[in-house]
Amino acid sequence: MFELINKLAGAYGPSGNEKQVSALIRSILKDKVDEIREDALGNLICVKKGSGKKFMLAAHMDQIGVIVTFIDDKGFLRFGNIGGLRPQVILGQRVVFENGTTGVIWYEENIDDIKKLKLDKMYIDIGATSREEAEGMVKLGDQAVYAADTKLQNGKIISKCMDNRIGCAILVQMALNSPKTENEIYYVFTAQEEVGLRGARTAAFGIVPDMALAVDVTGTGDTPESKPMAVRLGAGPTIKIKDASVISHPAVKDRLIERAKSANIPYQFEIMTFGGTDAGSIHITAGGIPSGGVSVPTRHIHSSAEIVDMKDVENAVELLEHFVK
Amino acid sequence: MMHCGELIIKLSDLRAVSGRENEASDAIAEVFREYCDEVYIDGFYNVVGLKKGQASEPKNILITAHYDEIGLIVTDIEESGFLRFAPVGGVDVKTIGAMEVTVHGKHDLFGVIGAKAPHLIDPADKDKAVKFEDMRIDIGLSGEKAKELVTIGDMVSFNSPAQKMMNNRIAGKSLDNRCGVAAIVETLKELKKLNHDDNVYVVATVQEELGLIGAICASYRIDADLAIVIDVCHGDMPGTPADSSFPLGKGTAIGIGPILNREHVKAMIKLAKDEHIPYQIDPETGDTGTEAAAHAVAKEGIPVILLSIPSKYMHTPVEMISVDDVIATGRLAARYIAGREK
Repeated sequence: MFELINKLAGAYGPSGNEKQVSALIRSILKDKVDEIREDALGNLICVKKGSGKKFMLAAHMDQIGVIVTFIDDKGFLRFGNIGGLRPQVILGQRVVFENGTTGVIWYEENIDDIKKLKLDKMYIDIGATSREEAEGMVKLGDQAVYAADTKLQNGKIISKCMDNRIGCAILVQMALNSPKTENEIYYVFTAQEEVGLRGARTAAFGIVPDMALAVDVTGTGDTPESKPMAVRLGAGPTIKIKDASVISHPAVKDRLIERAKSANIPYQFEIMTFGGTDAGSIHITAGGIPSGGVSVPTRHIHSSAEIVDMKDVENAVELLEHFVK
Repeated sequence: MMHCGELIIKLSDLRAVSGRENEASDAIAEVFREYCDEVYIDGFYNVVGLKKGQASEPKNILITAHYDEIGLIVTDIEESGFLRFAPVGGVDVKTIGAMEVTVHGKHDLFGVIGAKAPHLIDPADKDKAVKFEDMRIDIGLSGEKAKELVTIGDMVSFNSPAQKMMNNRIAGKSLDNRCGVAAIVETLKELKKLNHDDNVYVVATVQEELGLIGAICASYRIDADLAIVIDVCHGDMPGTPADSSFPLGKGTAIGIGPILNREHVKAMIKLAKDEHIPYQIDPETGDTGTEAAAHAVAKEGIPVILLSIPSKYMHTPVEMISVDDVIATGRLAARYIAGREK
């Protein structure tokens, strides 16, 4: 499964420009599901037909990134954020544009306190020495994402955009395994989650499932002096109780707990006091859709080096397969 | 038929932290049943009542008031038995130290939010604000025993039984917005005495405190021609701005603002004047922060009216309202519905 994860993490796909990820998933799942369609917002919807209940499993394809807002006379690029970026975390990072142009994020050095650093005091250096040269390489509105590779080390994966290619990988793997069930399963790869849970909203409206799950990442509380959170790397996928966008529907949560228990799959409970997931927009669509979530414990979310545990990923696939049966 | 004050006390004492309304929905359905032709609880535990109109082709009027309350959620159980927690909805951390609470575990457990004794506080920290992550709930149990009875994700509500006060006022933990639900019941009571053409759908909604969730579901499922939202606004007290706080006992506050339907608001004010029903004007410059924001943009848009009951000390366990304002709100809503042009 690592090969699949590696491939997905390598695809370029900042919010609103997910087509590379979408094309990759389509090529893998072609002939493996009964129907593949794309909606107006760019959501990729893969359907395994059935006569029973309709389950929607959503994993967002988009990743955080930066967008060029201005190119100055000397060829430096000013940028805005696509999704949640912390200045201290992106400082010194390499970023890559869709056309392969690579840049480095740096800052105006006359700042007295690095804690006061804000994005508007930062720039991307693509090595250009004039506006003309820079404009030959990138245009206003071009988006870039972290440039970093994906590594498997001692059963853990270190990579950029595990948020949320790991969710995509889980759903792709599940679709390939094709769990035996009469239920109809919608594997939905959503667009624009990082900028406001947007893709999932239209996808859910088009499907109106009986139940929905967001498959995404969650933080952990197991790193030095981290914010308290009862989630550890490697202790099992999490069953969402609540995040800032949704309180899981009791019927969904209870079904997950019951299936995890009976199949002997380790699990943890997840309460994220900040941050939302696709379940946040799905559950208030079309008069209300019972929704919840399964997440992969992830360290250093929204950095260029997120860490997940392969065991949690494999257990998430298994839990979801039992959930839809 | 319960007197309005008694009903408010009964409703305020129900436990329905946002996301755990299922434990209180039956009690509210029972109250609605006395006045409605049909009552049901939807998949998200919205409690929906229908009082049918007399017209052959009636229009639908939707009235919503949320019945969820703010509270806490258990986020971890420590080896020592102390419970860590996070807020559900806009809980003010300053107001919860030393509170008595109920932890809704395998069964309801009494707990206290302990505070460090003043003697033990480091002088350097004496003036510092306390954070949620520094506080614990103590249910008196060892870690092992606590883990048997409490699970991460269990909800916690405040123990603050509603109290009848002088001057027809009531204080309690969840008058935001059980007094709104009581105003719906007052509306229904009043409508029993009046003829009305339109169907009246009343909905006690869930999860308002988390982002108007129940209201969003309700106005999608019910095809409404007009929506009336009943919620609380800030009662005045020393130090509150005069333009966004309202005295208790002076009637319902009728919202005026960009998302509220101007024609209906005008007609509502005229009616209040003509019928000598006390009212105040509540200028709302933004989206109101109430369920009106959801209904206004539901489907192709629903004309919406906002009626607010002044409540002092909002989002604390001692919210205070005037019963007279609740009755006035119900009368005004009912007269408006009954008096609509045929």
